[in-house]
Amino acid sequence: MADTLTLLALFADIDPTVDAIDKLHSMGITDEKMDVISGIPFNEEVLGRPDIPTFIPRLAMGGAMIGFIVALFLIFGIPGLYPLNVGGQPVFPIPPFIIIAFELTMLGLMGTAFVGLFLAGHLPTYEPKLYVPELSDGKIALVFPCSVEQQAEFVDAMQSLGAEQVRPVEAKTL
Amino acid sequence: MATTAESIAMPGASAKKPKDLHEHLMLDPRPRGEMNAMVMESMHTTSKKFWGVVVFLALTILFALLGAWGYMIAEGMGVTGLTRPEYWGIFIVDMVFWIGISHAGTFISALLRVMKYEIRRPFTRAAELMTTFGLIQAAICIFLHLGRVWLAYWLVPYPNGRAIWPNFHSPLMWDFMAITTYVIASTMYLFMPLIPDLAMARDRSTGWRLGLYRLISLGFTGKAAEWKFLKTAMNIFAFAIIPVMFSVHTVVSWDFAMSTRPGWNSTIFGPYFVIGALHSGIAAVMIVLFMIRSTMKNMKYFIRPEHFEFLGKLSLIISMAWAYFFFNDYLVPWYGGNKFEQLLLDFHSHGPFAWVWVSMLICNILIPWMILWNKKWRKTPWLMLVVGIVINIGMWIERFVIIPVSLTITRMPFTWRLYHPSIEIPLTIGTFALFMLLYLLASRLIPLVPVWEVQEGQSAHIVRKVGKAMVTSVSNVD
Amino acid sequence: MSGAKSKNTPSKWGMVIDQDLCTGCQACVAACVMENNISSIGEQDVSVGRSMQWIHTERFWTGQYPDVSTIFQPILCQQCGNAPCETTCPVYASVHSDSEQINLQIYNRCVGTRYCANNCPYQVRVFNWRDWPRPVPWNNQLNPDVTVRRRGVMEKCMFCIQRIRRAELTAQSEGRQVRDGEVEPACVQACPAYAIVFGRLDDPASQVSQLVKNGRAYRMLEELDTQPKVYYLTGDSNHGHNG
Repeated sequence: MADTLTLLALFADIDPTVDAIDKLHSMGITDEKMDVISGIPFNEEVLGRPDIPTFIPRLAMGGAMIGFIVALFLIFGIPGLYPLNVGGQPVFPIPPFIIIAFELTMLGLMGTAFVGLFLAGHLPTYEPKLYVPELSDGKIALVFPCSVEQQAEFVDAMQSLGAEQVRPVEAKTL
Repeated sequence: MATTAESIAMPGASAKKPKDLHEHLMLDPRPRGEMNAMVMESMHTTSKKFWGVVVFLALTILFALLGAWGYMIAEGMGVTGLTRPEYWGIFIVDMVFWIGISHAGTFISALLRVMKYEIRRPFTRAAELMTTFGLIQAAICIFLHLGRVWLAYWLVPYPNGRAIWPNFHSPLMWDFMAITTYVIASTMYLFMPLIPDLAMARDRSTGWRLGLYRLISLGFTGKAAEWKFLKTAMNIFAFAIIPVMFSVHTVVSWDFAMSTRPGWNSTIFGPYFVIGALHSGIAAVMIVLFMIRSTMKNMKYFIRPEHFEFLGKLSLIISMAWAYFFFNDYLVPWYGGNKFEQLLLDFHSHGPFAWVWVSMLICNILIPWMILWNKKWRKTPWLMLVVGIVINIGMWIERFVIIPVSLTITRMPFTWRLYHPSIEIPLTIGTFALFMLLYLLASRLIPLVPVWEVQEGQSAHIVRKVGKAMVTSVSNVD
Repeated sequence: MSGAKSKNTPSKWGMVIDQDLCTGCQACVAACVMENNISSIGEQDVSVGRSMQWIHTERFWTGQYPDVSTIFQPILCQQCGNAPCETTCPVYASVHSDSEQINLQIYNRCVGTRYCANNCPYQVRVFNWRDWPRPVPWNNQLNPDVTVRRRGVMEKCMFCIQRIRRAELTAQSEGRQVRDGEVEPACVQACPAYAIVFGRLDDPASQVSQLVKNGRAYRMLEELDTQPKVYYLTGDSNHGHNG
């Protein structure tokens, strides 16, 4: 197998980027192999790429359930361990439970959604990355692998579709 | 996205002069690189005056907050003006006030995000920062209030050697849980949309700033998957944090409403406090936006009269809602005839603190209504600064009337006694100084404008011709 | 039970104060201060309303000059069955004793939120606003049975629970029940007019139970349904007397 390198094609606008994605598809680069990096979010529909699966909502639901269970423990477990009478109120009070259950469920939901963001995005990572600083200026980059022989072909294809730059990149520390 | 700029200023041949749509940030796009540079410049620019203010605030905190607090801890709560029957005083007033301030951030960034109000885009971060920093002050005020603050950790539910857990019958525990949830959630909610902007700052920094931004931008590059995860998590937060926001101030109001005190035991306190919180919070956003716009470089581009106009409109609606709840809270005891509640109402409007009560109504209703109805005035930033300050004074007074003034009237008439604050005043000034100092430092450390959200918004707006008028239309891609 | 509060709370210890007999002499106040190691706080703090008296005597004038009379009312913790102060404490410093039916204040649990004092309709809780000095020889007067409280802690009357416990333990060691009148809180002991009577409300033969059946008995702020354990006998027989 020939040596491969990673090409980065930089576009100023979304429409040529999408055309370029189609072109790459036709040139044999599948969606799994290429990556789109952008300074503002574009969803899968805009990019015409398959859905990116995410477990964050499910994880968050799990977190919400954990929060609810902790609330159950605090309101119905603790007084079971240490029953104390205050003001003639029931030892296992229902309305205060609703308040605590709400707060802890929400805390569990949001806390795990936040943690989920880190887990799903593999953040934080401080390893070298394929990246150019122009991206945070609103440019859109297509990153894909190609062999050394095909490099010129891909560069031509990208430039003909309006890429501002096409160049091989190597991962570097951000 | 390039189509907008040229097409807007189409000179119309009609009799009515076409509106200049450039006044809207979303219709006045600039290249992202330029906006990045503007925001970076605003973060880097400091003057002698800036550092002078920082030193002044730091000294104020040292003496008015830390010094006075240390003295209070060493001497006991006797150095305050608290006494029987005002066991709660300005510390709780400040706590409720700061939690109120913190509500605006969530309201603006979460509710307006869910509702897709495009006008929110440039100032969501400024408002969210207020939430986080306001909650820090609220937490400090709770600690200031405790008689034995060094044992404050006893409120945390965890298995402990004292073999006792906190009492979840107590509204203070609900409050503790609600505020903890809100602090954690709002800080995470502040941080998430900040990640791409930190990555932007990382790409444009050197030296210690590069190290800092590299660390806290977590290695974010902007891959499609990273954006997707970020948006998913932000979406969950935007929906989940709204009921939490409402619950927090409701629970704060329950600290009062659950008690047996005349004037406190009221079922309307929950919504009344939530509206009051939004009233002071939105007003505080006006103040903060004015300060950002007038003291930071390049911010006149991002923060425009249209934003003050929008906040003014919101403020007017909320002021009306506040007046409605206030009237409701007044009418029911007035009609009901409970002896102590009637004494309390009379004490409010005719007692020695009557001037405070009247100025509350002037600041919260009269002045806002007189000014905010006028669109031209709403678009005048300095006037909105004045309104913002007036409303915040009014809302602080509202809490003052509800807490120490109302506490004066008990069911035991021989305990009635007026409240004379003493060390509470420097400590209050200290919390304000700390809020301002944190905000000042943050304004030079993190991008105050979420540039990526502004660009996203600008790219979604186009101008369309309808008949002879040019109107905005927004695509719904996000 | 629909609401949070119990309908009828059990009773044990109770107190009856006869306002007809009370002369307002303040002996109960002094005795309470000595028995319970209450700090003497000095005129400065008293002048701003921080006097630390677990029992205090209020004086009410009735009638028009010259035909005036005074009624005194010693006010102490009413030991509510449904105590508003207890539910509000986040750290269980204020709890109900199921065995004695008294509102306890656990000083070393208190973190000083002062919520209980706000919520007390009788305003009988007192707060340690400072650490007041106890110069020699006052320090020799401290009662070893009672905790000395420091600044930042709420405190209140607990019917001299140390005396109740001592009487109960003595009775237990002698294999008998506590006799009526055996437990005397400091205020009861000190009252020269025998205006304050202490005993068991759940014993129908006790002196307090008999006095409660007296037609003059009432409880303070009964409409709040806090179910206090302190009964007052209305003082109206001295009308027409000056002072």
